[in-house]
Amino acid sequence: MSAALPIPVIQLLQVLTVALGAPGVTGVIAKVEARLQGRRGPRVLQPYYDLAKLARKESLAPEQASWFFLAAPLIAVAAYLTIPLLIPVLTTYGLPLGYMGDILGGGFLLSLASFVVATAAVETGSPYAQLGSSRAKTFSAITEPVVLFVVFTVALLTGTDLPYALAATVRSGAGQVIRPAHLLASAALFMVILHETGRIPVETHTGTNEFGMIEEARSFEHSGPYFALLKWGGELKQLILFTILADVFVAPWGLASTRQAGAVLLAIVALLAKACAIGVVVAVIDNSFAKLRLFKITEYASAAFLLAVLGVFTLYLGGG
Amino acid sequence: MTTALLFAGGTAPLQPPGVYEGAANVIAALMLLLEFGMLRQALVRDQIRLYAAQSALLSVLAIVIAADRNLPDLYALAALSAALKVVAVPLVLRRLLGSPADEDAPGIAGSYTLNPASAVLASIGLAAFGFFSFGQLHIAGPAAPALALAIAAAMVFVAFGLMIVRRDVASQAVGFFSLENAISLAALVVAAGLPLILETAFLFDLLVAVVVFGMLIRAHHARAASLSTADLTRLKG
Repeated sequence: MSAALPIPVIQLLQVLTVALGAPGVTGVIAKVEARLQGRRGPRVLQPYYDLAKLARKESLAPEQASWFFLAAPLIAVAAYLTIPLLIPVLTTYGLPLGYMGDILGGGFLLSLASFVVATAAVETGSPYAQLGSSRAKTFSAITEPVVLFVVFTVALLTGTDLPYALAATVRSGAGQVIRPAHLLASAALFMVILHETGRIPVETHTGTNEFGMIEEARSFEHSGPYFALLKWGGELKQLILFTILADVFVAPWGLASTRQAGAVLLAIVALLAKACAIGVVVAVIDNSFAKLRLFKITEYASAAFLLAVLGVFTLYLGGG
Repeated sequence: MTTALLFAGGTAPLQPPGVYEGAANVIAALMLLLEFGMLRQALVRDQIRLYAAQSALLSVLAIVIAADRNLPDLYALAALSAALKVVAVPLVLRRLLGSPADEDAPGIAGSYTLNPASAVLASIGLAAFGFFSFGQLHIAGPAAPALALAIAAAMVFVAFGLMIVRRDVASQAVGFFSLENAISLAALVVAAGLPLILETAFLFDLLVAVVVFGMLIRAHHARAASLSTADLTRLKG
C-alpha cells in the first residue's frame, strides 16, 4: 500500500527517532512521576523547551579547563547517536551499519560517553563535579560484571552477540520467553538500567541534594549549549537503554519487518510507547522504594549479579 | 536479511527446552531466588513471608507437573503442602516470634556474620557447587527437567549457607524449613510418581521439626531474651 523506504532513510530514521524522541520520553516520565507524588508536574514538552532555552544561553568554561572540557559534551552526544545504528530500533532485519559493532560495541560507546563526561568534570576542579564522576566510575565498575554476564547469556542463547539475533530468538516462540536464562538476564539488565538512569538504589535523579547526586553532579560546571548537550545526552542514554531492554530483551514486537513506510511509522510509535511504558514502571518503582545508603550499593549490585550469574548457570546445564 | 543469515558464523544456538520445561525451570529458579532473599532479609516477618512464598511456588510447581504429566495424586499433595507450609507453619512461626506490632519482639537484623553482599557472593559459589555437581549426575526423572533438580541441589546448599551466615535461631529455623522445601522440590523432580502416603509422611516430618524448633526458639528466648545464638557460646554453671 505505501511506498518502500530506501535503507539509508530507515537507518537515518533510527537515529532521528532516538534523538528527537528522548526528551519527550523524559517529559512523560517526569509527568507521571509528578502525578505519583501528587503534583501537577511540568508539561510533557518541557524538556524540549529546556534544551531550546539552554541552547540560546551564553556558555562559560573554568579558566584552567582545556579544550577537552568543551569537546566532551560533543563527543558524548556523538557516541550516543551512534548506538541507535547498532541496535534494533525500528526494524527486525539488520541494517547495513548495524554490523559495525555488537552488544559489546554498544557498551563500549556508552562507556566512552560516560568516560569523556567524567574526564571533563574532573578538569573543572569543582569538588562536586569530581565527586560525581568519581562515584559514577566506581559504581559503573561494580555493575560492569552484571552487564558482562548478561552478554554471556545472550551469547549462549543465540551463538552470537548481535542484538538483532537475540531479538529474533525471543520472537521465535513462547519457549524462548519462558526460560529461566532469558527471564533472569532480562531482570538483571533491568536492575542495571534502574541504576544507570539514576533511579534506584542511591541516586536522586532530579534532586539538587549533593549527597544523592552522581550523574547530575558531573555537569555542574557546564553551561549554555554545552550543558544542553549534556542534558540531551542523559536523555538519549535513557532512551537507548530502554530501547535495548524493550526491543532486544523484553518486547521485541512491533518492529517493522519490511521497508514499507507505514510499518516503519508504526514501529516509531511502538518504540516510543514501549519506552514510555518502561518509564512508567521505572517511575513507580523509583517512588515506591526507599533509597539505600550510598555504601549499600554493593547489596543492590550483588542482587543483580546473582540474577545474571544464575542465568548463565542454567544455560550451562542445558535446560535454561 | 533473514535470521538464518544472522546466525551464520556463530556456533549453533541452544534449543529452547519447551514451554512446560521452561515453566517448571522458571518456578524452580524463582524458588532459588527466594532462598537468596531469605539469606539477606533483615526482618524476621519478611523472612517468614518469603518462606511462605517459596512454599506456594512449590505447590504451583506440583500443580504444573500434575497437569502436564497427568498425575492426579500431585493435586492432593499440592493442596496438603500449601495448607501446611503456606498457612500453618508461617502462622506458628509468627506466633512464636511475637507479633510485628510488639516493640519488644526480638529482631534478627544484626545477625549477619558476613555483610549481605559478601554473603550473596559466597552463596553464589555454594549454589554453583550444588548446581554443577548435580548437573554431572545426569539424573532425569519422568516428570520434571534435570535443570530443576540441579536448582534444588543449589537450594540445599544455599539453605545451609543461610543457617551458617545468620547467627540467630529464627533464621536457622527458616533455613531448615526451606531446606525441606528444596528436598521436596528434588523429590518432585526425581520421583513425581511417589505414592501419596510417602509424601504425606515427609510433610509430617516437617511438623515434628516445627514443634522441635518452636520449643528451641521458646526456650532460647526465655533464657537469653534474644534470638541471637551468640549468647550460646558462654558456658553457664
